[in-house]
Amino acid sequence: MNLQKVISGFFFILAMTLNFGFFYGDIGNPLLHSSYELFAALVISLISTVLKIGDKTQIGSVLLASSLVADIQLIAAAIFWTVTTYTSTVDSEAMATIVSLSGGALLANITSVILYIGETLKSKR
Amino acid sequence: MSDNALWIILQRLRTPLLVIIVTYAIAILGMVLIPGLDDKGEVYHLSFFDAFYFISYTASTIGFGETPYDFTYEQRLWVLICIYLTVIGWFYGLGALVSVVSDKTLKFELMRSRFRKQVEKIKVDFIIVLGYTHVNVEITKQLLESGLKVVFIDESEENINHLMLEDFSQSVAVMVGNVLLIDTLKDAGIRKKNCKAIIALFDEEDKNLRVSILSKFLNPHVKVIAKSTLYETTTSLLDTDIAKVQNPFEIFAKRLDIALTSPHVLILENWIYQNSDLTDIALFLPRGRYIICGYGRFGKALQEKLEKHGIDYVFIDERHLGKREMIENETFLRANADDKAILCEAGIKEASCLIAGTQNDIDNISILITAKKLNPDIYLIARENTMEEISIFQAAKINWVFMIESILINKTALFLADALKHRFLKLVLYKDEIWATSLVNLLKSQINKNPTLITLKVCEDEAYALFHDLALGEDIKIEILLKSLSNWEKKSGAIPLLIKREAEEILLPSNESLYIGDHILFACDNSSKEEIELIASNCYELHYARFGKEKESQILKKILLAFRL
Repeated sequence: MNLQKVISGFFFILAMTLNFGFFYGDIGNPLLHSSYELFAALVISLISTVLKIGDKTQIGSVLLASSLVADIQLIAAAIFWTVTTYTSTVDSEAMATIVSLSGGALLANITSVILYIGETLKSKR
Repeated sequence: MSDNALWIILQRLRTPLLVIIVTYAIAILGMVLIPGLDDKGEVYHLSFFDAFYFISYTASTIGFGETPYDFTYEQRLWVLICIYLTVIGWFYGLGALVSVVSDKTLKFELMRSRFRKQVEKIKVDFIIVLGYTHVNVEITKQLLESGLKVVFIDESEENINHLMLEDFSQSVAVMVGNVLLIDTLKDAGIRKKNCKAIIALFDEEDKNLRVSILSKFLNPHVKVIAKSTLYETTTSLLDTDIAKVQNPFEIFAKRLDIALTSPHVLILENWIYQNSDLTDIALFLPRGRYIICGYGRFGKALQEKLEKHGIDYVFIDERHLGKREMIENETFLRANADDKAILCEAGIKEASCLIAGTQNDIDNISILITAKKLNPDIYLIARENTMEEISIFQAAKINWVFMIESILINKTALFLADALKHRFLKLVLYKDEIWATSLVNLLKSQINKNPTLITLKVCEDEAYALFHDLALGEDIKIEILLKSLSNWEKKSGAIPLLIKREAEEILLPSNESLYIGDHILFACDNSSKEEIELIASNCYELHYARFGKEKESQILKKILLAFRL
């Protein structure tokens, strides 16, 4: 067993699950989407990005790219939420934008987890 | 993903980035969770934005104060923890960033990528020069003058810094690197089509050999110019098929050989190198007994030539021992040459020539001064190893100073920068005294004592008018180029020395037809140089030189005809 693989795998999958947790629920209902969960998803996504840095292989590059996509989508969602909170009210329309942004991030995270699993299966060790 | 520098930064900053993200996340989450009291005394929670804002300025030690309301004691307790947590994380990140920027590997990678880009940009022919030495700097200057570009590699950073202070006419791409690594040579562009040659004149001769072998595998079309004075290295170098070997001792021995039979050939050679003009008489060697100090590689090279000419000689050396029969024949003395008694024993008073050829410049000078005192009429030849002591040698009034460094500079630069002159010199060196004397006299009487050498290529760029007339199938003799433009029946005084065609070389051509693609070498003075260039490139001047009358302009003719009608 490789401890490094455990740690990076843990963070990659956690980023995906947290993201899913935030995304799941009625898209326009603010009560069903916790800001704490978005915060956690963003932080874990950033950590998994840093963990992917420094792998110069072909698959490493794609992993890093998908992770950067997830970060950008989540950051965009967080900024949009903050701006709407302080300028107008967070109605179901605004909530739908935030959740759909996080939905995009979820796709990117799923891609990266699939790639990660594929690479692990391919490895002979 | 080829940029190594970016990857080094990212990889080094992984841990610091993780630390910053985790500490921020903990601090922000805590700030949001802990309840505070607003100005009306009601319970509230900081939003994520408030918390991020507060932690950002706290972690970077800017410290704007407590917002949006004064904190409660529970909050302050958490802030205290946050300060130590985030500030330490932040400083750790900054420190890591600074240390990465000043990191040696990173600096090297940055320099390397800059160097690669510089080499990539070179579009004209270029030469790779290895090692910062006086010789290489002089060669570089001459190469730059003749329109070639130069790429420089040295192993030490200090040398490269010195190199950047050198006064070159154009920018030279430089890099610190180990020349025995394939990567370094690749970075220097050895695989590029316009890389013409690589110069390896290291004193460590096995290094020259290794560079030659590497170059052969990387690009067999590149010429390698390598220095070699040891027999084994020379044979191995020649085995690589691509190296041009420079052995300064052999070169000098050959010069001595030529000087003993045909000094005028040497006068021509020195003039081609521009070391002196055609009136130089220093190279007429006396006959008689020769004393040679130093029996190393240099002495052994000379011995062969002296024996060939049947000259009486004696070697003096303390460290290198001569063969037994030499000692028995009294042609070898094992002693320190810098000694009056020893020089007298060697017969300095009757000797006609003394060659001071030890490895130590000061020893050589000292021997020469002693010898001059004992025999004021003696002909002196000195070997000078480094150029730093050049002024002492000039002051000592030595008949012939043999400089290893300047031989390497002259030979290498001429070979690479001016192929036609180099070819001419090669042909001259095979000629005899009578031929050389008549050429020297011809040059002196028809031009001046130091004629300029110019090369002309019959192509559209260099000889526009000539090219177009030849392309029409007209027969033009080389005489046409030598006409005087003030009076076509007279000559301008220039002398054609060599015509080089694809497979043919014509030395001292006369009445020779020209063809497209010919390379012609002329000896001329400044005014005849101008006339040659004018005739070759201007169609009106060419017409005058050929037919003795002005060419009529076609447009003018048409206009005149139109008016007459």
